[in-house]
Amino acid sequence: MSVQTTGRTTELVVDPGPVLRLRRAAMDTESVLWRDLLRTARQPDVLVFAVVMGVFFLVLFNYVFGGSIGAGAGIDYLQFLVPGVLVITALQGAQQTSMSLAADLTEGVVERFRSLPISQAAVIAGKTLADGLRNIIGLVLVALVALLMGYRFASFGGAVAALALATVVGYGFSWMGAAIAAKVRKPDAVGMLSMFWLFPLMLASTAFTPADTMPGWLQPFATYQPMSAAADAVRGLANGDVDVASIWLALGWTLLLLVIFVPLSARYYRKAP
Amino acid sequence: MQRTESAALRVQALGKSFGDVQAVADVSFEVRAGQVVGLLGPNGAGKTTTVKMLTTLIPIDSGSASVAGFDVAGQPAVVRQLIGVAGQGAAVDEKLTARENLSLFARLYKLPGSLRRQRVADLIDRFDMESFADRPAHTYSGGQRRRLDVAAALVAEPPVLLLDEPTTGLDPRSRADLWAAIRELAEQGTAIVLTTQYLEEADQLADYILILDGGRVVAEGTPSALKRDLDRDVLQVQLTEPGAILRATSILGQHGQQVISDPTDSQTLQVAVGDDATLALKMLRELQDNSIALSDFQLRRPTLDDVFLALTASKDRVSKEA
Repeated sequence: MSVQTTGRTTELVVDPGPVLRLRRAAMDTESVLWRDLLRTARQPDVLVFAVVMGVFFLVLFNYVFGGSIGAGAGIDYLQFLVPGVLVITALQGAQQTSMSLAADLTEGVVERFRSLPISQAAVIAGKTLADGLRNIIGLVLVALVALLMGYRFASFGGAVAALALATVVGYGFSWMGAAIAAKVRKPDAVGMLSMFWLFPLMLASTAFTPADTMPGWLQPFATYQPMSAAADAVRGLANGDVDVASIWLALGWTLLLLVIFVPLSARYYRKAP
Repeated sequence: MQRTESAALRVQALGKSFGDVQAVADVSFEVRAGQVVGLLGPNGAGKTTTVKMLTTLIPIDSGSASVAGFDVAGQPAVVRQLIGVAGQGAAVDEKLTARENLSLFARLYKLPGSLRRQRVADLIDRFDMESFADRPAHTYSGGQRRRLDVAAALVAEPPVLLLDEPTTGLDPRSRADLWAAIRELAEQGTAIVLTTQYLEEADQLADYILILDGGRVVAEGTPSALKRDLDRDVLQVQLTEPGAILRATSILGQHGQQVISDPTDSQTLQVAVGDDATLALKMLRELQDNSIALSDFQLRRPTLDDVFLALTASKDRVSKEA
């Protein structure tokens, strides 16, 4: 069989208007999403790692630190902890986006993407969407383990809303991770850098402990930083004590992350290494 | 920009520098539909940099290039629809199978769904990939990977194809298969730019060759013209004693001819003698008068190798002593 190569098989698009440009970008995003979902399915270790880390935090904090933190703050610590760990799991998903995109960028296929008639931002958009879907699975698995440990959601609707909010905040952070990866490129360095943003956010937050036990100078940061906002908001939704201000704050942080890092990651990605 | 139909790819005075290093300087050529133009040169000659500029991967510093009349720097989004790339830089997704890879690129080129499946099946058939089409690419041999790589470049049937050292590292059988595929593509009207380090490959495939060295075109022409232009017989002598090479080089060079030695072979020397057979005889006698023993000698027509060596000779390969 022979392939005809003289005729064109696709319409040459010389000057696409904004609508066509956007439609083509959406098609590209869908194609890259399909590619990244296939890759995710072939590498379940990333998902397994995210779930194991979530379970690790649940077990460590509940059984090791839980007694003292819970007694000190006068709360049912497992009910306090689980929503925080869900947010941590979502942000770790974003960290995985950063590291796997950096590894991806070292592969030759990205070079080919850059020579293709596609929206280059779609390469990152498809990646973050695929990771967002993977994150949902990870969050559900961590939530199931929490249920086995005795945690109780206030309602099914509250559980869905809590997981959805954690996913959305994680999605915002995955664009920040993508921008770091596209700028820095070296997988080792990106791995180090993602520790630098993840750990301070995670430890100086209301994910593990209430802010009022922290020193005064740390409290403003620990109360309003994005992971705390997300932890408080997810906790409110999950435990049936909806905290509207935290939800708006968490969504506001997410929007800010997207506004900054979507264009920035596209710009870094377009630049040749 | 005026559309020029005659040339599928037109390159004018292309230049690129990285810091102080002039990687490509003043490279010009044209490729018409159905033509294969070879960029021949050693590592670091500027071949890959040229291809990267033509495929919009790195910006053009000076000069210009156009594909089907569309300026590469001005309308990269259009140019990307008209080119296919395979070789050193461009690759495939290691985690996906050949079928999935081709399908991905067909989607990204926005082929309609029905045509997409047909095209993927055609390419798998054409490049004989059926036996490994459903295994992930990281399990492939070099030859299998290269076939997929070239097939991926053809998904949208681009009128211009750029192949950057497509056969480097392939076994002779895979290389011959790929050569056949490249010839067929040219016959069907694809304009092809081929970079290679192999003289034989350029000689076999290219209608027109540019020899690059240090980022510059040092010679160009059809393979036969290149050989004809350097129409000078070569005297090749093989020394019995490797230790005599310096003395032999100086004796052979005393008539002003360039003496070329092979860095991997310390007993063979070549000197171009033009069409002056008497000069060759004189040189041989002088070697004999100086008691330099020869195990073999021959007077032969130039090959493309000689052209290449003479043009790209760096100091460690050439000694010309007055």
